[in-house]
Amino acid sequence: MRVDLGPAGRWRHDLSHCLHTTAGVLLTFHGLDPVRVLGAGWGFSHRPGDVRREEYFFPGEGPLFADLAPHHAVSSVWHEPADADSGWREVRAKLAAGTPVAVAADNFHLPFRPAYRDVHTNHLLTVFGFDDEAGEVLVADPVPPAFQGAISLETFTAARDSGNPIRHDRDMFFTANPIGNRWLELVVGPEQPAFDLGFVRHVLAANAAALGEGRVTPGLVTGLAGLRHTLTGLLERYEGDEVAVDDLFILGGAVLAVTGLHAEFLALAGRRFGMSGLGELARSVDRIAHHWAAFRIAVATGRADRAAAVPGLLARAERLLAAYEVVAGEMACLGTVAARVRVPA
Amino acid sequence: MEKTVIELGRHFDGTGVQPEGTSGDYGFNVWRNTFPAEELPPAGSVREVAGVTFAFPAPNADGADNVRCRGQLVAVPEGRYDWLYLLGAAERRTEDEVELHHAGGTVRRSWLRMSDFWPETPARFGEPLAFCTTGLRYPRHTQAGHSPSIWQQRVAIAEPDPLVAVRLPDNPAMHVFALTAVADEESRCAR
Repeated sequence: MRVDLGPAGRWRHDLSHCLHTTAGVLLTFHGLDPVRVLGAGWGFSHRPGDVRREEYFFPGEGPLFADLAPHHAVSSVWHEPADADSGWREVRAKLAAGTPVAVAADNFHLPFRPAYRDVHTNHLLTVFGFDDEAGEVLVADPVPPAFQGAISLETFTAARDSGNPIRHDRDMFFTANPIGNRWLELVVGPEQPAFDLGFVRHVLAANAAALGEGRVTPGLVTGLAGLRHTLTGLLERYEGDEVAVDDLFILGGAVLAVTGLHAEFLALAGRRFGMSGLGELARSVDRIAHHWAAFRIAVATGRADRAAAVPGLLARAERLLAAYEVVAGEMACLGTVAARVRVPA
Repeated sequence: MEKTVIELGRHFDGTGVQPEGTSGDYGFNVWRNTFPAEELPPAGSVREVAGVTFAFPAPNADGADNVRCRGQLVAVPEGRYDWLYLLGAAERRTEDEVELHHAGGTVRRSWLRMSDFWPETPARFGEPLAFCTTGLRYPRHTQAGHSPSIWQQRVAIAEPDPLVAVRLPDNPAMHVFALTAVADEESRCAR
């Protein structure tokens, strides 16, 4: 049997990692625009202590796609097969039924990844077909160096079944977490919101409210209060606990990606609805993304002398949080303005 | 236009350009990727990029060839300038202000916006491409077809008092390979 659900999309946002890139490819299969769906939500929600060594980690309450796209009817299910054989049978059955899926994979085994036969690291990519006779699987991975095409089932299985061990120097952040043949199924509801001014207004109001009404509980932190709590707590541990370095970097990468995507969403809405204020808000959100870019590299490069790095990190975190406060306020105001704007048909 | 190349070597603290066949303590970014030296101008050579002259970095005594921005204060030959031009690249695009120190103590701020060096990633801030290599170096191999970029940035100087120093941002995602100050009478008159 041969199944080819391609061509797969090649969408990628420059501030994203494999998670948003793969999510964008899967959404495109369902006719959904990645920026409109993945860029609409902008908030923070995190279960304290839950930072996994995966390039596709995303803080939230779960399911993963519900966190990635909180304003759309999409969700997802992680599947954890018992072994490699059942892992392939499950994925193959989905593909045969016409549904592409995402799989976790160790780049060490993937010939198109720079880490091939060098270091192990935990990655996510899309599978959109197979050829039983040729013994091949069709995969799409727009993360540079972008690849779309066939790899052998043997290679694919090795990447999925890897224990992801440490080899040579540690991969900085995403090693030593077994891949376990995990695969991710996207669930798309029958109705999706139209991309109109009413939806944008809803997004602005909901995001501003969620940021402003944040809370801190032992099991979950949300909004700006939760972000402040998380950053403060991890920076307090930064000097004495190297795990905090990894946690901050991984969290920062995820929040950087969603912040950049939200700026893209606002800029798109500003052009679509002729609202210059949305373009200006997009710029303010992009500025926050650029704070995150600085912060996560400061976190990583501070590893060698963590005590010396702390004052600079605290200063950047304060500037970052202050920028969030200002932008959340601008967002609430603009949502009110948008409510009064009529867009010609 | 009068161009003044600024000496940066004493501030270099990063090793971003790596000769073929070498190993060791190289690393432009936190993952220890580097630019292949054989595809870039010779160390210390003078090159023009988009109309501006730069000194392509020669490694200093520590072997470093770029400044990872951590708020360094860079001395500038005292003079009236209109622009600072940089050769730089960031680990993910980012922006921050530089502080322009003028004779007499005036300090002005101006934005420095720097695009990502990562392959398959276009300039975000309209910077001209300075250099792009055909491969990206990893600690144990070079990935062909994976092409990183160095961009040319420009920072505006509006204050007429002579410039004496530039404070780089405390933003270690930014890397500066070269810096040139430009006096541009024509653009000054256009104001």
